[in-house]
Amino acid sequence: MKAPRVGIIGIGQSDYKSRRDDANYPELVREAVALALKDCQRSLEDMEAVVYSLAPDALLGIGNAERLGVDAVGARNKRFMRINTGGSTGISSVAAAHSHIAAGACDIVLVAGADKVGECGDSQTIMNKIWDPIYERSLPLGTITMLAMSALRYMHKYGMTQEDMARVIVKNRAHAALNPRAHLRKETTIEEVMSSRMISWPIKLFDCCPQSSGGCAMVLASEEYIRANNLEAVWITGLAHSSESYYLGDRMGRGYTADHADAHALGESFQRSYKMAGIADPVRQVDVAELYAPFSNTEFHAIEAAGLAPIGRSPQMLKDGEYFKLGGRLPVNPSGGTVCSNPIAVTAMVRVAEAALQVWGRAGAHQVQGAKVAIASGNGGDHQFFGTMVVEA
Amino acid sequence: MRTALQVGMIGCAFHAPRNHDTASLEEAVHQATHNALRDAGLAIDDIDGIVVAANDQYDGRAISIMAASGSVGGVGRDILCTPSCAEHAFVLAALRVGAGQFRTQLVVSWSSLETTDLSEAQRLGTDPYFHRQLPIDDLSSHGMQANALEARVPGAREAAIAVTESSRKHAAIAYPEFAASPVDPRVIASSRVVRWPLTEGMVSKPAFAVVAVVLASDAFIAERGIGQPAWIHGMGWATEPGFLGDRDLAELPSLRSAAQQAYDAAGITQAESAFDVAEVADASPYQQLLALEALGLCEATAWQASIGRGDFQSGGRLPVNPSGGALSFNPVFCTGLMRIAEAGNQVRGQAGRHQVADVTKALAHGASGFAMQYNTVVVFGRDRKEVQQ
Repeated sequence: MKAPRVGIIGIGQSDYKSRRDDANYPELVREAVALALKDCQRSLEDMEAVVYSLAPDALLGIGNAERLGVDAVGARNKRFMRINTGGSTGISSVAAAHSHIAAGACDIVLVAGADKVGECGDSQTIMNKIWDPIYERSLPLGTITMLAMSALRYMHKYGMTQEDMARVIVKNRAHAALNPRAHLRKETTIEEVMSSRMISWPIKLFDCCPQSSGGCAMVLASEEYIRANNLEAVWITGLAHSSESYYLGDRMGRGYTADHADAHALGESFQRSYKMAGIADPVRQVDVAELYAPFSNTEFHAIEAAGLAPIGRSPQMLKDGEYFKLGGRLPVNPSGGTVCSNPIAVTAMVRVAEAALQVWGRAGAHQVQGAKVAIASGNGGDHQFFGTMVVEA
Repeated sequence: MRTALQVGMIGCAFHAPRNHDTASLEEAVHQATHNALRDAGLAIDDIDGIVVAANDQYDGRAISIMAASGSVGGVGRDILCTPSCAEHAFVLAALRVGAGQFRTQLVVSWSSLETTDLSEAQRLGTDPYFHRQLPIDDLSSHGMQANALEARVPGAREAAIAVTESSRKHAAIAYPEFAASPVDPRVIASSRVVRWPLTEGMVSKPAFAVVAVVLASDAFIAERGIGQPAWIHGMGWATEPGFLGDRDLAELPSLRSAAQQAYDAAGITQAESAFDVAEVADASPYQQLLALEALGLCEATAWQASIGRGDFQSGGRLPVNPSGGALSFNPVFCTGLMRIAEAGNQVRGQAGRHQVADVTKALAHGASGFAMQYNTVVVFGRDRKEVQQ
């Protein structure tokens, strides 16, 4: 049975910054919610359910911090649940809201969250706590070192260079300069990226996402509700998730289940989303992509997992200058992407929100002209959980 | 749900080994998954998607779903996590099947006791500025709720003691291996106070368990010829605000809201006489009383008389918690999913020693968070419900 159509009718994003001393955590969530409600001219009372987007509690220092956000999202005595799949939480939350509507339980659902990564101290110390306490936690593992290993493997398999990685940052910073909500908006150069401080070889400071504070909210509704209320909407036509193994060692060495260079499960997830949306040839059918890539190197395997480039070919395609830039073919992360703003709890929701804005024609200065089909993705855990979505005008 | 699709519970497993320290959490989660699939007559390849529920603070991992993904067969599958509570995992899984995107879902949650201090882990759930310096944990919030209820309803304490006695007697039949105690109402009332007015005899110590449930669509159930699923006739879920000071702890408007959602979906107008059995939240006996009221099963003014008559005992008008409930076995964090699974098993005729005869409709209620912040209600039926378009 084909699922009923679910539309996105409202989007709210705060500005993403290093700190938000002027707003506590629930206030930051409320800020995004107010913007989303204003965007669709609805009130909190109209919302039949809330899906709360919150990744690791430890980043906020409050266990089950969603409980403190209940009033911020107007959920008192209403349907409310929280989703956490790590970095993919935001897209997973949108998927959960989609299920509320597609199942017929609700006609209109709010998805909301915020994070204060910029105020958590050292996120990498916290991220080390995602690993197994016996075998892996004593290693200097963080999300940076984890994906530095992936970068090394990708370099070995496909010949990626550090300059190729820098080129992703130069591209995305130029995009972010056009996005008033982005955290890192200053344009940069390959030389500047290359000379930035080494964090975990080959990942340098400028290859990394920032630690951002900010919130994002979206309002989803059934086609029936949208038609009955004469609302503007864009449509979620494909969505899926897939997962890799917990232990990084299972993606390395002999007998691995997947190669740590690639984003195997992300590819699976995209295939499922494409199948649902009826996309057989993403290079021809997709107009713009917002792909979760917190480090420069990971944008390459995300592009390839999305089927926008042959495996191992995306660095050369970016270097050649025709692809992935605004104004070029298949623009990727016109918002600046995760390497320019990363409020972890909602980063993957921002990908969906930005994809929706693109096909809506409301992306502003970073609009891809004529975009009608957009894709979004989110990565969570130790490069383990992947969510994908197709959004169409 | 206003859906044309029907969703049924077709498999279930409780894994509660006596010596849980002899196996890792991952092994225990795998065992429960394996047993639930076997109960459903399925293999892991039949599972389209998974929803787990786990608590980062209890598990000591920053993203607790991560460790489970291998054990529940999540690799290569669509897997999500609802850390708000285990009941929400059930709800989301049912919605995912009801939406038509999945034919089957596996739901898994667990109570990990690996943390050195459960109370401290729970205290992290308070806001860091105003409340964290207070000794708030789940039990103290339940104590405050019990105080508020005693202040509102004369005789609530006597009713709470009777509820505890009844649940322990149920547990002696359902799960004698747990040897839930005390049963004697004098001991229940007079044992050491753990959080006033709750005595040690009124609560059950946190226990280790993994709960796994398998859901499937009507088409899948028909295709596989699966006999007697527990059909989900209605679901409701709602939340109280986060700050205890914003609430009247003696009332549960969120549970009333959740019950109304579920009853509306199931077409139930007279809850008092609609069910053959109920499994309700009871981390303390006062919670069971609140649940009876907010679910429309028994007004507060009638608690003492109804409980005194044995209305809610096995063989009574409406057996409540024939499993013994969390008052007898308390795997914190997944007690709510246990209530839902127990009610589903009653409809499936798979409840074991505590099976109530001829169950055609069962009510489940789970509550989680401080003083029952999250409330979830599920109505199960033996027959497919009439489709509401």
